[in-house]
Amino acid sequence: MADPAPIPAELQIDAPQTWVRLIESAALDMPRPLIPVRLNGKRLVLFRDEAGSLGLIGRNCPHRGADLCYGRLEDNGLRCPFHGWHFDHTGQCVEQPAEPEDSQMYKAIKIPMIPVEERDGSIWAYLGTGSDAELIKEAPA
Amino acid sequence: MISEKLNQQITQIGPDTPAGDVLRCYWQPAALEEELDAPLPVPVTLMGERLALVRDTAGALVLATRLPLPDEPAISHPDTGEIQIDTNGPSYPVVVKKGIVFAYLGQGEPPAFPNFDCFRADDAHVFAFKGLWECNWLQALEIGIDPAHASFLHRFLEDEDPANSYGKQFRDKVASTDMTVSQVLREYPRPDIDVEETDYGLKITALRHMHDGYTHVRITNQIFPEAICIPMSREMTITQWHVPIDDEHCYWYTLFTSFKDPVNKELMRAQRLKEHVLPTYAPKKNRGNFYGYDPREQETTTYTGMGMDINVHDQWAVEGMGAVQDRTREHLGRSDKAIIRYRRMLRQAIKALESGDRQALPMQDASAAKAIIGPLSNDSVAPTDNWPGISHEADLERRASCPWDASIS
Repeated sequence: MADPAPIPAELQIDAPQTWVRLIESAALDMPRPLIPVRLNGKRLVLFRDEAGSLGLIGRNCPHRGADLCYGRLEDNGLRCPFHGWHFDHTGQCVEQPAEPEDSQMYKAIKIPMIPVEERDGSIWAYLGTGSDAELIKEAPA
Repeated sequence: MISEKLNQQITQIGPDTPAGDVLRCYWQPAALEEELDAPLPVPVTLMGERLALVRDTAGALVLATRLPLPDEPAISHPDTGEIQIDTNGPSYPVVVKKGIVFAYLGQGEPPAFPNFDCFRADDAHVFAFKGLWECNWLQALEIGIDPAHASFLHRFLEDEDPANSYGKQFRDKVASTDMTVSQVLREYPRPDIDVEETDYGLKITALRHMHDGYTHVRITNQIFPEAICIPMSREMTITQWHVPIDDEHCYWYTLFTSFKDPVNKELMRAQRLKEHVLPTYAPKKNRGNFYGYDPREQETTTYTGMGMDINVHDQWAVEGMGAVQDRTREHLGRSDKAIIRYRRMLRQAIKALESGDRQALPMQDASAAKAIIGPLSNDSVAPTDNWPGISHEADLERRASCPWDASIS
């Protein structure tokens, strides 16, 4: 049998503007917990950081568009292999190691993210536009 | 970030497009000379035009228009028997130089070839090859004028023995030190980048200030409109064109130029044939097989997990951006200085052509083109307080001992 693909097949979902179940949590139980996701046509990447938090963020690096599916899962986040830009699970850029030491640019860089929650062994994404309060109220039981 | 409209203007290269008109003012690599070993006509797709290399009635090699096959994909290589020449279409002049078939698809007289090292060196010291990248030409060019990415994308977490490095990039010892280029790139990832406009394009200087009062100086070049000239090793430079096939595919054409021994062409070709499929020169590692990505290798050996071939790393980076990079979402940093400068040059050239001033473009004046030599392209290490002098001297030293006339004075 051929080796399994080094990057899992893209998870494709079309969903209404509400909470949607993406996949069972166990699907991320692998040495490199990362899955490409296409949600309502948007290309995203789902990953788990070292602290266990989930991130569902845009798939292309906001710098020059490299594919973060091949990112380095390290330092409790996802690092782009092109220039080492490092992102936490919320999509916030936390380091730009090729920029000058005094650069503060990273603070203004954030990859679009979609809120995710884990409930009863499944990973859910919130596609609504509601505030945090509504988000919690509407969260799946 | 730029607007969608501007992104289209600087990426689209079909006939009668602004950037396409700029590229058509220059000789373009159309095929490798070795492709002429096949019977004519040899199919070529260049800047969105379906063409074929044929002999005209006078026996001269020309690039004629051919009728596209029904539903012909962008990357195709129809058999000789399938090719139908369109005698109503344009036919373009061709020059074979150093293993590359160059064609001129523009209006009026073609420009003179500048006197670059890759053209001046004798044939034994130049080797040509090409490869397919499935993306727009501009993102392919932009990775070549971005000196910062080499510290990450091409990082080896451990080093190969430089003795086994022939024909590969970054494996050489840096002049006068015990470090390999790859080590210097890894340990000093934040280069100071200086970009200078020149008569051929841009001179890009990346300075990596090291701890001991020394600076690593890497000088690379943008050759207008879509080539680069960079050092490969102490012995060789790379002059590389990123030639559009259409808006969503391009070929890199490289002239490897040796300043010392004749190029071991057999070895260079074998190394590259192992990684490509003829007749399209498509790389064996590609999106379809994840570029050979191995997450375990990424943890232990290479930054990408895609092997030691830096060409594959570059290919992954530029193809992953999508067929045409969406520059409305980009965020350029200070490391992207040369890219910003290049786009400005391209827009200036577009404007000049629109107002009929072709002579405002680089290297269009025949007598001036002949006087363009070099460009200086090397890695050196120098005391931080005298790096410009040392870098220049290192280049002169290489030129002085070069078996072909590489003099620049």
